[in-house]
Amino acid sequence: MSSSPPGMLLPLGVEVPFSDIELALGRNGADERRRVPGRALTATLVVLGSHARLAEAAEAVEQLPDIGVRAILISNGTNTAPTVRVHEYSIALDGLRPDYLNNAVAALRLSSLPTVVWWRGGAPEMLDGLADLADRLIFDAEEPGAVWARAAALAERTAISDIRWARLTRWRALMAHFFDIPDVRREATSFNRLRIEGADVDAGRLYAGWLASSLRWTPDVAVDVRIRPGGASIERIELGDGEQALTLQLVPGTSCVETAVRVKGHVEASRVVSLGDQRLAVLLGEELRIRSRDLAFEHAVAGLQGVA
Amino acid sequence: MPVNPLQDGLRLEPTPGPATLVIFGASGDLTRRKLLPALYRLSRDQRLPARFSVIGVAREEFGDDGFRQQFRDSLREFAGLAGDDDVARSLRERMHYIGGDFKDPALFGRLAASIQASDGAAGVLFYLAIPPGAYPNVIEQLGAAGLSTASGAGWRRIIIEKPFGTNLQTARELNGLVHRHFDEEQVFRIDHYLGKETVQNLMVFRFANGMFEPVWNRRYIDHVQITAAETVGVERRAAYYEGAGALRDMVQNHLMQLLSLIAMEPPIAFTAESVRDRKMDALLSVQPLEPQDVVRAQYEAGWVMGAAVPGYRAEPGVDPGSRTETFVGLRMQLDSWRWAGVPFYLRTGKRLPKRTTEIAIQFRRPPLQIFKRVSQSSVAPNLLIINVQPDEGISVRFDAKLPGTRMQLAPVMMNFRYGSAFGGSVPEAYETLLLDALLGEPTLFARHDFVEASWALIAPVHARWEADTSAAVPVYEAGEWGGMEADALMTRDGRRWRTL
Repeated sequence: MSSSPPGMLLPLGVEVPFSDIELALGRNGADERRRVPGRALTATLVVLGSHARLAEAAEAVEQLPDIGVRAILISNGTNTAPTVRVHEYSIALDGLRPDYLNNAVAALRLSSLPTVVWWRGGAPEMLDGLADLADRLIFDAEEPGAVWARAAALAERTAISDIRWARLTRWRALMAHFFDIPDVRREATSFNRLRIEGADVDAGRLYAGWLASSLRWTPDVAVDVRIRPGGASIERIELGDGEQALTLQLVPGTSCVETAVRVKGHVEASRVVSLGDQRLAVLLGEELRIRSRDLAFEHAVAGLQGVA
Repeated sequence: MPVNPLQDGLRLEPTPGPATLVIFGASGDLTRRKLLPALYRLSRDQRLPARFSVIGVAREEFGDDGFRQQFRDSLREFAGLAGDDDVARSLRERMHYIGGDFKDPALFGRLAASIQASDGAAGVLFYLAIPPGAYPNVIEQLGAAGLSTASGAGWRRIIIEKPFGTNLQTARELNGLVHRHFDEEQVFRIDHYLGKETVQNLMVFRFANGMFEPVWNRRYIDHVQITAAETVGVERRAAYYEGAGALRDMVQNHLMQLLSLIAMEPPIAFTAESVRDRKMDALLSVQPLEPQDVVRAQYEAGWVMGAAVPGYRAEPGVDPGSRTETFVGLRMQLDSWRWAGVPFYLRTGKRLPKRTTEIAIQFRRPPLQIFKRVSQSSVAPNLLIINVQPDEGISVRFDAKLPGTRMQLAPVMMNFRYGSAFGGSVPEAYETLLLDALLGEPTLFARHDFVEASWALIAPVHARWEADTSAAVPVYEAGEWGGMEADALMTRDGRRWRTL
C-alpha cells in the first residue's frame, strides 16, 4: 500500500496497476480487515471532471443514501498511464488523457449493470463517444451551455439529465402544486411575467425553459432571470401578470420555501414547506434511481431557446 | 387548462391530495406505537400533502393538548426522536382531538364540523384503530352523520384493522354493514404484513424476473413452508386471544396472504383488481382442510430468549382450563395446474424459540445423484428462503464444491438483505399502507371476498375443534417448535420442518 498524499483521489485506497484493479477489488471481499459492507451494486457510475471536482464527487458517492454503485472516478489530465487507486467499490484514475477515456470506461464498467456517466466537466465532444457506452448521462458542468447545446443529439443515443435539474425537482413540484388549484389553471393563460432570482443563472434559465415548454409559452411572456451572487442557486420565483402572482421564496437561512398564491377567486395564506435535503449525494441518489428518458428535462433544455 | 401540465415528468413519488386523517382509537396502543410514528416519518420524508391534518377520536377527554403530548411521547418512545424537530412541530400543530362516546351521535356531529373546518376537508381517511366490537357502531354512525360520502371531487375512505370478523358469518355481516355505507373501493382492510418490503418484493421477485417463474411449479418445487413464529406470549391481549387463538389471529389473515402471493398466477397487470383477482384464485384453489391436515397445541411453562416463562393457562386473564390454541400447523393442498401435489405447510405460534417469519420454498432434488459415490456429504435440495421479518431479504441455498483435491459438496447461501443491500432504512409497513390508503391505492389491502374465502377455509376446523371437547389440547414447552404433533404433520409426508 502506498502512502496517501493529501489531494489524492480515494486517499484511503490502495495504489495498484491498472491490470490489477479487479484483483484488488476482489481482495476487498476476501480480506477480513478490508471487507466492505455488502451493498447491492445497482450501476457503474463513471465520474468525469477536474481533480478538484472529483474529490467532491468521491465524497458524494461515499455518502450515497441507499444505492450501491461501482464508482469509477477519472480526472482530466495528460497521462497515458495514470495513477490508479481502489477503495471498497471505487476506482480512481488520476489525470487520464481524454482520448483514452472511452477505453478506460469500456474496460472497467460492469457489463451486467447500467452505466451512468456523471459529467462534471471536460471537453464536451468527449460526450459523443461516451454516449455509446452509457445508459445515462448526467450533466453537471459549471458552465453548462456547451453541454446543453449537444443535449438533443445526445438524447437520441442515450438518456440524459442534469444535477441542476435534480436540484430543481422540489421547486418544480411546488410550482406544480399551485397548478393543482383550478383557479390557478383557469388564470394561467394570462400569466405573462416570470422572474427568477438566485446565484445560479443557468438553473434559473432551465426552470424557465421547463415552464416555457410545459405551458407552451409564446415569446410574449417576459422572462427575467436575475443573478444574486453568493446566495442559494434559486432564491425566489414569481410567476404572474402584475396583479396575480404565484410566489416561491426561499426563507433566509433555512432550507424552506414560503409559497403564496394570489389569483382571482383564490387567495391562500402563505405556507412554509421544506425544500428537502439538497446535498450533492442526495441529488445524485435521485438521478441514479431513474433509468428511463427524462422527457421533461429534454423539453426544458429545448425550451431554453425561447428564454433570454 | 383542464389538467395540470406541470405534473408531467415530476420525479417525486406521488403525494396525496389535501386530506384529513381521522383516527378512531387515538389513545390506543396501535396509534401510539405505529400510526403516530408512521405519520411523523411520512411527514419527514415529505410524503404527506401540504394541506393535511389529523383528528384523533377516543373516549378519553384529553383535548388537543393531550393528543399532541401523546404524539410527542410516541415519537420519543417508538420513533427514537429524543427532542422535538420542525417536522414534528409542524405536524403537531395540525393535530386535533375530539373525545366522546362512539355511541353518541353528537360526537359524530362534532367530528363533521371539525372535518369541515380542517385544512384537508377534500379527502377524509377514517382509521378504525379500535376493538373490533366497536366497528359496527362507528361505521353506522359515520353513515348516519353523512360522513361516508363526499361531495364534489372529495373522497372518503376507511381503513379497518384486523380481525375483520371472528368467523365467516361475522365477516359477512361486517362486510354487509360496511357496504351499506361505503363502496368497496372506499374500504381498505389492512393487514400490515402486506406493507412489508419483502412481501411487496415477492411480486417483483416472481414477475419481474424471468428466471424464477419457469421453475415456480409442481415440476420443480417439492413443498413450501411458511412460518410465522413469535417469542412473546399472549401479553396484555388475553381477552382477545382467548376468543381468537392462533388460527384466527394469524392464519386467516397474515399466512393466507403470504400463501396467496406465493401461489398466485401472474396478473395481467400490476393493478389492484388484477393482483387481487389472482390472489383470490389461489385462495379458492386451496382444498378443504381435513382433520389430519391441522394440528394445534398450547404452550406450557418453559424458557424463551433467556427467561423462564409461564404456561398459557397461567397467563393473566387466561381461563385456567382454556382450550385456545397458541400454535397451529397446517398442511394445505392447492388444486391447481401449477400446484397439484405440492403441499404447503404453514405454522405459527407464540412462545416459540425465535421471532421470525419466513417462506421457504424447497426444490426437488436432481433426478440423478451423480455425486453420491464420490462425495461423502449428501446433496442438499435447493432452497429459496424469503425472510419477511425481522431481517427482510431473500436467500438461495445451493450446493458447491468445497475447495480441495477431493470432490466434496457443501451447501452455500447467496444472501440478499434489504438492510444492507441498499443501505437506507426500510419503511415501516404502516407508513406504506397509510400512504397507499391516502393515495387510494388498494393493491396491498384485502378485498371483501378474500376475507370471506379465508374465513370459509378455516371455519370447518373451528367447527371440529368446538365440537370435540373431550380430547385434550396437545401442549408444547415454551421455547420449543410446537411439539410432537407439529413434527408428525411433516414426518408423515417424509419431510421435516426447517430448524430456524
